[in-house]
Amino acid sequence: MLLELKDVNKTYDNGQPLHVLKGIDLSIDKGEFVSIMGASGSGKSTLLNILGILDDYDTGEYWLDGKLIKGLSERQAADYRNRMIGFIFQSFNLISFKTAVENVELPLFYQGVSRSKRHAMAMEYLDRLGLADWASHYPNEMSGGQKQRVAIARALITHPQIILADEPTGALDSKTSVEVMELLGRLNREEGVTIIVVTHESGVANCTDKIVHIKDGIIGEIEMNDLHNASAFGTTTIMK
Amino acid sequence: MRFDIDSYKEVFDTLTRNRSRSLLTGFGVFWGLFMLLFMLGGGQGVKAKLASNFDGFATNTAMVIANETTQPYKGMQEGRRWSLTTRDVDRLRLMVPELDVVTPSIAVWGGSATYGELTANCSVKGVRAEYARVEEPRMKYGRFINSVDEQMGRKVCVIGKRVYKDLFPGGGDPCGRFIQVGPSYYQIVGVDVSSGSISINGSAEETVSIPLPLAQQLYQRGENVDIICMTGKKGVTMSELESRIRQIVAREHSIAPDDKSAVFVLNTEELFNLVNNIFHGVDILIWLIGLGTLLAGAIGVSNIMMVTVKERTIEIGIRRAIGATPRDVLTQIMAESVLLTMVSGLASIVFAVGVLSVVEMASGDGTPFQISFGLAVGAALLLTVLGLAAGMAPAMRAMKIKPVDAMRDE
Repeated sequence: MLLELKDVNKTYDNGQPLHVLKGIDLSIDKGEFVSIMGASGSGKSTLLNILGILDDYDTGEYWLDGKLIKGLSERQAADYRNRMIGFIFQSFNLISFKTAVENVELPLFYQGVSRSKRHAMAMEYLDRLGLADWASHYPNEMSGGQKQRVAIARALITHPQIILADEPTGALDSKTSVEVMELLGRLNREEGVTIIVVTHESGVANCTDKIVHIKDGIIGEIEMNDLHNASAFGTTTIMK
Repeated sequence: MRFDIDSYKEVFDTLTRNRSRSLLTGFGVFWGLFMLLFMLGGGQGVKAKLASNFDGFATNTAMVIANETTQPYKGMQEGRRWSLTTRDVDRLRLMVPELDVVTPSIAVWGGSATYGELTANCSVKGVRAEYARVEEPRMKYGRFINSVDEQMGRKVCVIGKRVYKDLFPGGGDPCGRFIQVGPSYYQIVGVDVSSGSISINGSAEETVSIPLPLAQQLYQRGENVDIICMTGKKGVTMSELESRIRQIVAREHSIAPDDKSAVFVLNTEELFNLVNNIFHGVDILIWLIGLGTLLAGAIGVSNIMMVTVKERTIEIGIRRAIGATPRDVLTQIMAESVLLTMVSGLASIVFAVGVLSVVEMASGDGTPFQISFGLAVGAALLLTVLGLAAGMAPAMRAMKIKPVDAMRDE
């Protein structure tokens, strides 16, 4: 297993304790295209933060690529995030005063890759996502779909073990949403990238091969969705 | 820390992103350092200007001057006029062995010197050779009055700078020429160009100095002298000798021993101390105000960086999420602070040096207003320290930003 959670618990203690994750067990294998679906307050964001080593958990075990992720120092956590995980955010989270290519380069900058090499790599990835012409444009000059594709390029450039996408279509219109989900699906099929999408939209979840339902901090049903017909909202579009 | 072009570009980009804010913040540091450097340079110039008044004047000097008595003594009324004599000079020399030079002089005011058709205002001063050790002449040509001149009664003179310029507008060595002063002709043996204005018996610039015995004869002064100048031997302070000097003179002339204004002793040491104290006070004030303003500027930088960090929470969160270590963040914020402080500070040093050289040129007499190279280097070092200190608090705050914050602040 590439990624394995064993009885993970997390309690937030802001004034009164709030038990958010109540014993999560989850395994995801290499090359899977999984969605974690749940309503707001279900604990899916907390789960995502733990998967992304952005937050620590209280009890249990989280194994990522054979390494136990627990009680890491800030430095180690930063290093693991940088090398093993690629993030795609709902609001793209590109740095506004950097051009597309500079944004894509940034993870390599923190790895200490030389200037010319990381520039070449960033250009290559932008080209693969059809954005080579937009390399020197700033985020505010691009459409939402283009911005999200830049963010995907940034997530891919370090060859991470997993891509974590937090509501990747949340800020996009339905047409672009379909495009982005198709892009993620293609990356998964053609390049074997492991992708985990966190969403509350069934239409988005339907694009993935496996849907993990989470409710009140517990994993409910795990639905295999190879035929992409789980959604009540049809198979042709993503409902907005 | 990663040192490549992008590290610098990164820092430069963030500073130029909000140009007016960076400029205004930098101006605080700029002005603070400018104030400090300009006041230091200015203070030094003013000091030098004041000190030039003491030019060529022995610092450990006292003078005795005879005034009307203010107390009745030994049956004589107050308001009596009396005069110092050459015998007082010998007496002081014998009875106060701590004294190094004891030399009298007389002055005749309001005379004029004539050479050919040219005339110059001057005062005539009768001096001994030793006088050169009290008020050191800067001889441009020739020599000062010497003891042979005194003994042989030679009619020779040393002329001051102004007299020289008025009588010899074409310049050149005037030694050997004869000038007429008052009733008599003198041969010039030297030109003294010292320009101190704390001179005894009138400014040295407008003086024609002649041997004392000759002056006493020509101006019918007998044994009387106007003033007795003394310098102490090494390690002796004149203020300690002051009362003994007064006693010796007072006893001889039947003056009440505590009549301080009759036997007036002027002690330059006190004068120097007073001026030095003022200088020290001004120095302390300059450093206090200058460093205070500079500090206020640095605190301004720190403050603005604090705001910037707050504004950039998301950006820093993103960086952390994609692999920046806390150390990377710390380094970046510190670098921004140091760069902002350094650039404005170095501009300030350049500006201060520029302004000071204009002032120096405007003063026109070579008074040194410019700050030293060492001070400029010191200021640059101080800036680095200030920049680091100013970046400390904001950098600490930036380090506390967690990658999760990038997602929360939407």
